[in-house]
Amino acid sequence: MKLHPFSVPYRVVDRGVRFGWAAVIGVAATSGGTFAEFWPFVLVGAVALAVLVLAYQYAYYQRFSYELAGDTLDIDSGVLSRREREIPLRRVQNVDVTRNVLQRALGIATLSVETAGGGSTEAKLECVSAEEAERLQTEIRRLKAGETADTEGEDMGDVLYELDDRSLLAYSFLSFDARVASGLAVLFPLLGPVIATLGFSDAASGLGAALLVFVVGVGALAVLLALWIASAAIRFVRFYGFRLRREGDDLRYERGLLKRYTGTIPLDKLQSVSLTENVLMRRVGYATLAVETAGYAPGDTPSGGSEAAVPFAPREDALALARTLEPFNEVAVERPPRRARRRYIGRYGILAGIVTASAFAASTLWGLPYWWISLLLFPVAVAGGHYRWLHLGHAEGDEYAVTRGGFWSRSTTVVPYYRLQTVIESQSVFQRRWGLASVVYDTAGSRRLTGGDATAHDIEEETARSLVERAVNRLRATLGRQ
Amino acid sequence: MERLNPRVRLVWAVGALVTALVLGGIVAGIALFADTSDFPWFTPLYGVAVFLLVGAIGVVFAVLRYRVFRFEVREDTLFLQRGVITRVRTVVPYVRVQHVDTQRGPLERLVGLSSVVVYTAGSRGADVSIPGLTPERADELQASLRELAIESEPEDAV
Repeated sequence: MKLHPFSVPYRVVDRGVRFGWAAVIGVAATSGGTFAEFWPFVLVGAVALAVLVLAYQYAYYQRFSYELAGDTLDIDSGVLSRREREIPLRRVQNVDVTRNVLQRALGIATLSVETAGGGSTEAKLECVSAEEAERLQTEIRRLKAGETADTEGEDMGDVLYELDDRSLLAYSFLSFDARVASGLAVLFPLLGPVIATLGFSDAASGLGAALLVFVVGVGALAVLLALWIASAAIRFVRFYGFRLRREGDDLRYERGLLKRYTGTIPLDKLQSVSLTENVLMRRVGYATLAVETAGYAPGDTPSGGSEAAVPFAPREDALALARTLEPFNEVAVERPPRRARRRYIGRYGILAGIVTASAFAASTLWGLPYWWISLLLFPVAVAGGHYRWLHLGHAEGDEYAVTRGGFWSRSTTVVPYYRLQTVIESQSVFQRRWGLASVVYDTAGSRRLTGGDATAHDIEEETARSLVERAVNRLRATLGRQ
Repeated sequence: MERLNPRVRLVWAVGALVTALVLGGIVAGIALFADTSDFPWFTPLYGVAVFLLVGAIGVVFAVLRYRVFRFEVREDTLFLQRGVITRVRTVVPYVRVQHVDTQRGPLERLVGLSSVVVYTAGSRGADVSIPGLTPERADELQASLRELAIESEPEDAV
């Protein structure tokens, strides 16, 4: 089978926009005012390049063929170097379909197939028609499960969860997308000179100082507010119309306002389940449910880092849904011993001390006003240590290990023992002094940037050692049973 | 518990000394060739001091690392203990072993040593490596780990 003919114009425009933008910036940055003398050359170059890209994309389209044959997905592709691939469907992890605005206008879609292992997406069909993408997604699931194409009937599985507009709005404003904060980096070059001209010593006395503090405070609040609204807008656009269905052994979700995503999450490859609640969501009793599979490479997910099975649901509902995916029992999560709290308070106290000492030094050397404000950091350190301790925890079930941690965003992760790859006990110098140790349950999962590994932090040394032993024994026991 | 070949200290110490030499060289180079008229006290001797300091720390670490490092081929798992500042004990069930490599760096070849690296599908993939083995022991270990991994494979490793 070949790709959709519209994929040629789509790919030309897509690559053109991406490359063209870089080229415009490059030309503007390097030539400056002399651009006027060069424009005929630039124009000829651009036209030549456009023709080249068009020819290449046409050849790509001509050379690309795929076929869903029996239990493999065969793909022949490549213009300059040819590549023939057979992907065993048994090894397929996630199948994602994305459609951006342009693709939706043309009625086409990109299909990405993920397998475990390897750094990036295993196969990308860019683009096929929207119906064909849907068909492939369903077919791959069917063939994987060993069903034949004629077992019709349950084409649309049960809707497990749907995000209504009110919940979506609440979710947008209650969750914070950390990626927005990177936008701050853009502001620094702009704000730097302004701050530099303010000067500390001139303003150190009387009204000037008060004004300075006021301006800085209001500015910081405005920036925070802007970030919050930006984050909410991004969340809203990304999760608009979220719907989760169960189809056989897969979960299937769709979402997105401008760019539509549809993806499958294979439940038989599920590595861990985690429930995340940030400070605000804890207040109103809501949580995010995420499942981890082995398919995606870190930070490289076509769906934009979201394997959220349920972005926003009352805690009880999220928990109930999690139980239908992995039938774990209620286990009591235990906090680390109290001396761990002293350790965190001490750690944050040292940080506060360093900041205070630097502020004091700056005040004596360069006349930084109000250095003593930094003394307020000490109570903050005590509170920080306490809350870190308060939200940490681990539990040891018969078939699942549970770890919990994080104050701003608390994650509770459930790891089935039969998914363990390695078990790691680690102990820093400081932990050795307190007789504490951490245990890491490593799975073949992929959420490395956000959630990190499931770790039981700062538990008793002896407990940690026997925990490792028992976890490995349980892995063996569950494997033998299957 | 098995310990490493004592010669591994030499490999690590020489590696640390090379790093120290580069750092010291950079400092000495700056003192020699850059314009340091504002800091008359800054002489190439500082480069020597940096070399001695970093080198000494590196050598001490090499010795400590050797003392801490232990591994054991158990019935169902491979056990590994390492780390001077943060002590890490890793347990790798043979069921989860994807493949086993032996590696020999230039320094290791010089003193006749070899390393074995065990890969799992976990997110800490190549975290499990055993340096400082004689080539015979490394080959033997690789072969026996391979055997054990094949023996204990019941199903999909992911």
